[in-house]
Amino acid sequence: MTEATRYAALPDSDLVRRCREGDAEAWNELVERYSRYVYAIAVRGFRLSEEDAEDVFQDVFTRIYTRLDTLRDASALRPWIAQLTRRRCLDVLASKGRELPADEMLTTEEGADLAEVEEAFTVRQALGGLSDACQEILDRFFARDQSYKTISAELDIPSGTIASRIARCLGRLRSELEGRNQRESGSRE
Amino acid sequence: LTNDDYLDLRLRELLERVSADGLAPGGGSAAALTVAFAARLVAMVARCSPGWRDAVGVTAQANSISERAVALAHTDGRVWEEALTALRDAETAGGGDARRDFALEQKLEAAAAAPLEIASLGADAAELAALAGEHGDGTYRADAAAAAALAAGGAAAAAHLVRVNLGMRTTDPRLARALESEQAAHGFADALLDPSR
Repeated sequence: MTEATRYAALPDSDLVRRCREGDAEAWNELVERYSRYVYAIAVRGFRLSEEDAEDVFQDVFTRIYTRLDTLRDASALRPWIAQLTRRRCLDVLASKGRELPADEMLTTEEGADLAEVEEAFTVRQALGGLSDACQEILDRFFARDQSYKTISAELDIPSGTIASRIARCLGRLRSELEGRNQRESGSRE
Repeated sequence: LTNDDYLDLRLRELLERVSADGLAPGGGSAAALTVAFAARLVAMVARCSPGWRDAVGVTAQANSISERAVALAHTDGRVWEEALTALRDAETAGGGDARRDFALEQKLEAAAAAPLEIASLGADAAELAALAGEHGDGTYRADAAAAAALAAGGAAAAAHLVRVNLGMRTTDPRLARALESEQAAHGFADALLDPSR
């Protein structure tokens, strides 16, 4: 297992602990893990321009870096980052003179997009817990829209078994998601 | 029609659009929507087969194929209208303009891309239907067979459009790929429709 892979497998709570200890590799992993999340909230949830989203991105990660010690529950890293990002996005909107809803009063569409971002991130994290083979086949079918024939040819897997393999990998993904949900609800109790 | 329109229109309105004029949705869009129907039937069979270990995973794949097919219905309609417009312009102006002929050829070639994808999706939907027919609840085996037949029909129609849009280029590898998809889809459908084969 490479150093990067080892860090990618760390749960958020361990990652936060290592970041607090000044582990540079842990910081890299934190940014890698959450950069798309922060960006997606800014662009999809709040409809910010790329330029404004970039500003939010820089500011949020600066705040994470300087304030990580204030995070009381290390396993609550993700909701904390989400909250920092939402607040910063609202600041940007206010500075542009756009009429502002309260954070809780986003339009239905924006709220739905934010929920979608959350869901996509959860699935992405759960995917990381699967074998490389499963990640590969699910990515090819669901993200790259490849046909069974193409997947069979490119991965050298017998045709006629692709759909079943995908189904089993989805089953594992589901177990991974359920496990994460249980761990998350357990950590909040 | 946009991608969302295909999903938001009432069935009656969509059917009326098909027969309204010479514009989209035409044969390619109809083939794509047929594949979408086939995939949703597979999802239904899987959902109604609680004893099938892979049912949930097959449902997800079938839904994904259906969504892709609807998107292709939209894409095919758009590129086909562009090709049709170019074709009419060329007919009105008469022959002899090399630049315009080249542009027309490019449009027709682009119009072959969507049906090629539709044929491939038809093969995948038929394969999934075969899986559902084999492992799904026996009560719904006929629905799995119906799904495979629809998917094969969609693949055949789409392969035909690829052939037409590519015109004289009978050695084009895209034509071979479309025909492979058509044959694969028919193979799955035939096995389900006539298990004695």
